[in-house]
Amino acid sequence: MNATVAVRGLTKKYGRNLVLDGLTLEFGRGVTGLLGPNGAGKTTLLRSLATTLAPDGGEVRALGLDPADRGQRTDLRRRLGYLPQDPGFYPHFTLFELIEYVAILKEMTDRRERHREVRRVLEEVGLSDRAKTKVRKLSGGMKQRLALAQALLGEPDLLILDEPTVGLDPEQRMRFRALVSRLGENRTVLLSTHQTEDVAALCERVIVMKGGRAVFQGTPRELAAAASGRIWICDAPPGDSRLFWRTADGRYRVLGDPPPGASPATPTVEDGYLLVLGEPFGAAE
Amino acid sequence: MNRPWHLPEDLIERYVTGRLEPAQVLSVESHLARCEPCRAAVPYEREWLAASWERIEDLVDRPRARPVARLLRRFGVPGHVATLLVATPALARGWLVAVTAVTAFAVAAAHLVGRDPAAAFDGLLPFLVAAPVLPLAGIAVAYGPRVDPVHETQAATPLAGARVLLLRALAVLVTAMALTGAATPLLPGPPGLTTAWLLPALALTATTLALSTWFPPPVSAAVLIVAWLGAVLASTELAGDGLALFSPAAQVVYGLAVAALVPLVYLRRARFDPGESR
Repeated sequence: MNATVAVRGLTKKYGRNLVLDGLTLEFGRGVTGLLGPNGAGKTTLLRSLATTLAPDGGEVRALGLDPADRGQRTDLRRRLGYLPQDPGFYPHFTLFELIEYVAILKEMTDRRERHREVRRVLEEVGLSDRAKTKVRKLSGGMKQRLALAQALLGEPDLLILDEPTVGLDPEQRMRFRALVSRLGENRTVLLSTHQTEDVAALCERVIVMKGGRAVFQGTPRELAAAASGRIWICDAPPGDSRLFWRTADGRYRVLGDPPPGASPATPTVEDGYLLVLGEPFGAAE
Repeated sequence: MNRPWHLPEDLIERYVTGRLEPAQVLSVESHLARCEPCRAAVPYEREWLAASWERIEDLVDRPRARPVARLLRRFGVPGHVATLLVATPALARGWLVAVTAVTAFAVAAAHLVGRDPAAAFDGLLPFLVAAPVLPLAGIAVAYGPRVDPVHETQAATPLAGARVLLLRALAVLVTAMALTGAATPLLPGPPGLTTAWLLPALALTATTLALSTWFPPPVSAAVLIVAWLGAVLASTELAGDGLALFSPAAQVVYGLAVAALVPLVYLRRARFDPGESR
């Protein structure tokens, strides 16, 4: 893999809370999924890569550029698309005005070219027929698509998306997956999510974070394989502290040591993720 | 069934060369809209057509510039800068109303107190004290994660940091000074005194920006507003002369402060960038 983004020993503290603890990882072109529980440091990592936050220590190289250097940071921003976790909007702006505002911040000074680009990204996310609607009149899912549209301005080489599928209905998620997989064909996309289905469907590579460190880096298939021999199906609840749940066919899916009479099941990315995190059933990290 | 009718060649030629009457042009174009073979028979330049279509699309799609943006453009501000400035949270209606209200109140107070000739100068004090802090209040809500909903998005763009903050601060300063300046001729008193707020306003704004390279702008502005009001109180209560802060000697100090602080802000401008290490 040719890494387009490499992070070495990244640290970040908020007060006494160590959010990134010597984080080291790398990924290249295509779509990379970032999984982890709340507080794992995903958003802090994404903000560091998006140059909106300076880490306390460690090194970042993105597209061969060092965000700690002022000139290179500006160069990186010219090639970056970023969808923050809580994208804010000016509610009294129309969709066209809001996207145009971000386009100006991205140094698109030629009016005609800028307007063409605004129309293109609104079309990409299926909002071109709402260009003159005020942002305050949009539903949550539409706002999320609008936030994605601004990230696509200028066809960035590095796209950083922090929980982009929040608020999208199933049909919108399908459209989103199609769009992101197409974008990932010729650029680097980092996608933070809680949805393991998105990772399984979209990502060539997955990174799992916990406690400010990367505890897994590999393909989704390898993540699922991490749960091989640890997933079981049985007819009765195991009756101990192992993690299990009742499935739609009335049987029980168990993670961890096999209960009596259980048969092995094919692990999923979600199973692998839960086992890599090692909670709450004491599996090794 | 009738055979479909098509435009004769000579009609197409006269249409292309612009030799038709307006009514005939309308008739031809109405037919062209419905008939693909005839459209294909009309020679055209692909690039010209694409560019023309884009111009039409742009005219239909683009929103009409906001009144403030149109006004700025009339004063020679480039269109993209005007659009940037219109988004400044501080320039939203709330702050403008507040500035106008405070200014109107101070002017009214000056006239009410000024009826007594012995207290004419004291009557100007509320105006002179309020005018310099109005831009500070605007700068406090012009830039930053707590006051700008789009801050995180814009922090990842090439214009993040100094360029947006200073542009907005300048817009706020100019707006506040224009509103306050418009009220100045309405004040009773000599012009030298009624404009004595100008240099303190510039000095306090420059100090706010300089402090904002260390602390968030709302904190810097709040500290300076309190310090300014404290200084006014101290000079009124202790020295017994509220106008001492607007004396010629004080004006020299404000002028020197502006001259020293503007280069400092320029030198430390990288500190406005959220991606800069502290």
